Amino acid sequence: MSLLEIKNAHLKLDDKNILNGVSLSVNKGEVHAIMGPNGSGKSTLSYMLAGRDGYELEKGEILLDGISLSEMEADERARSGLFLAFQYPVELPGVGGMSFLREAVNSRRKFLGEEELDHLAFVKEARKEASKMYVKDEMLKRAVNVGFSGGEKKRFEILQMAMLKPTVSILDETDSGLDVDALKIVSDGVNAQRNSENAIVVITHYQRLLDYIVPDFVHILSDGVIIKSAGPELALEVEKNGYSGLINAA
Amino acid sequence: MQHSIKNYYINSIKNYTNQFEDTNFRRIACNDFKSWPSPREETWRLSRLGSLSRKKIKPINPNLKKNNYNTLNLIGSTIIQFVDGAYREDLSSKLPSGVNLSVLSDSESLKYLQKIKKSNLSDHPSTNVSLSCTPSIMKLTVSKDIKVKDFLEIIYEGGEDSKSVHPVLYLELEENSSLYLIERFNHLTSLAMPLQLIELRNKASLNSIKIFNDNEKTYNLSANCVYLSKESYLNSFSLIKGGIFTRSETHAYLNGCNAKLNLNGIYISCNKQHHDLTTAIYHDVPDCTSKQIVRGVLGGKSTGVFQGKVRVAKDAQRTDGQQMSRAILLSDTASANAKPELEIYADDVICAHGATVGELDDDQLFYLNSRGVHMDKAREILIKAFLEDMINQSVDNSLHDFVFKEAELALSSIITKETL
Repeated sequence: MSLLEIKNAHLKLDDKNILNGVSLSVNKGEVHAIMGPNGSGKSTLSYMLAGRDGYELEKGEILLDGISLSEMEADERARSGLFLAFQYPVELPGVGGMSFLREAVNSRRKFLGEEELDHLAFVKEARKEASKMYVKDEMLKRAVNVGFSGGEKKRFEILQMAMLKPTVSILDETDSGLDVDALKIVSDGVNAQRNSENAIVVITHYQRLLDYIVPDFVHILSDGVIIKSAGPELALEVEKNGYSGLINAA
Repeated sequence: MQHSIKNYYINSIKNYTNQFEDTNFRRIACNDFKSWPSPREETWRLSRLGSLSRKKIKPINPNLKKNNYNTLNLIGSTIIQFVDGAYREDLSSKLPSGVNLSVLSDSESLKYLQKIKKSNLSDHPSTNVSLSCTPSIMKLTVSKDIKVKDFLEIIYEGGEDSKSVHPVLYLELEENSSLYLIERFNHLTSLAMPLQLIELRNKASLNSIKIFNDNEKTYNLSANCVYLSKESYLNSFSLIKGGIFTRSETHAYLNGCNAKLNLNGIYISCNKQHHDLTTAIYHDVPDCTSKQIVRGVLGGKSTGVFQGKVRVAKDAQRTDGQQMSRAILLSDTASANAKPELEIYADDVICAHGATVGELDDDQLFYLNSRGVHMDKAREILIKAFLEDMINQSVDNSLHDFVFKEAELALSSIITKETL
């Protein structure tokens, strides 16, 4: 059984068709990349999966580990093991990084039937994971994403992913706004979390990120449908010839 | 009908005032109280006293034996207690050296009245009614060069149904002195009309926290007049959460160069509460700074008002006046009004103001939800952050937890109600 199953997903925003029948199966241990030109529906797909208000499916179904997500709110989906790394992580003035992480992690632990971590145990765990992502203690004391650089924001996203241990992670244009060094740190962080029990869906414009996070499958999204799926070589083809050839051929 | 009720209060004030021997200042004040402010008056347009004017209220005769006020968690090491508007020495602590509390004489009371009458609070109902009916004007002085280390806490309690209470205070910080003052309004009365005159002499520094937490039926019309001299500093923070109607009105006169003023406040309103922070800051000399941050959280059918006027006189060059107000509405039936007003006659000034009224931010809520945080909890986190941020900026570190808990108590009822 697939870990994530998207079946014939249709979605409209303001009466405009955005997703026109997306289907995708992601199995345990796999990394999938979804590529596509601007306006192809990539970010809509990620919001739809995460359960943002207003992004409800008009038709189709999504299953996480065999369970339908349609009736679940965003927070329930997250607790069930779905994680979205934001293209533009949101600033939360006044909400301290450490207490934010703790709230998130304990919500997930409670769902999994695990005991909530006490303050000390949590801080220890958070610091350990943070150091792997080059996130300094001082950053955890600051308000979430407030005054963070582009790179810091993305590192903080991957730190959250590491601490929440999701079964399916969707990385929405995680490479945007990153320089080469930051891209490497973030990619290393993601790769360290790849295992045989989880799956990752990388949404991106560019091949560049896929040099670091090497996918098993690449899908091309255009006009709200997947027009082509293949191995990592497809990303190289896009890099070389652009999207237009593929779109015209479809 | 309404006319006779209006006269009812005026007559009861007159009768009450007649019992005093020191009637000079009382008579002037009493004659100046003609009626409750009408909604046609601009500063009372958003905070109408119609329902108060229809109540039959009389000034209270302070009961000097009432003594059941020991349940509070006190934070100050020195307590000054007012019950029914009267100072109670028996319930108050000994004051530290350099701090003195006394009753103003008749002639001093008259001077007090004249000082307030010079300000734009001269027609405020609390000015005239409280000066007519107060048991006595209490003067708290901090002597020259005295820096009071411990927090001084003033607690206002007492009152009765259909009665009004009238604590009147004169606070003078002499040159180069400093004080950290916490005032808590916990009246159980129909009407409370606290009146204060604060004078900060050169280089004096006052940190002030006011917590308005009167009974749910109380109208509190607090009036404060502040004069700041050269290089003096007032850092004031108000938390309004109690009463059915609480209006804290402050007029601050920056009369000495390089005086600095922070006038911050939070209101947390639910049910049918009406909370109003009205301020007027007068920059009359050059090189002064004033900052105001006001935040409100409203649920139920409550209403919030922030009216902030900054006037910069022609000679008050290099004034820095900032003002920012934000209100978050948690229910469709709550409303918030913000009325910033800048009157600038000088040309070399930095003045800015901004006001927003809105709901919690969708992007922020979704971000928290996407991390597994339930919607109710996400709202709570964001509201608390909204207020905590501000409390951090306004109060001493050691009082932060106390003030935040006071805010949290008020928030808890709104958050549960609005998310059910």
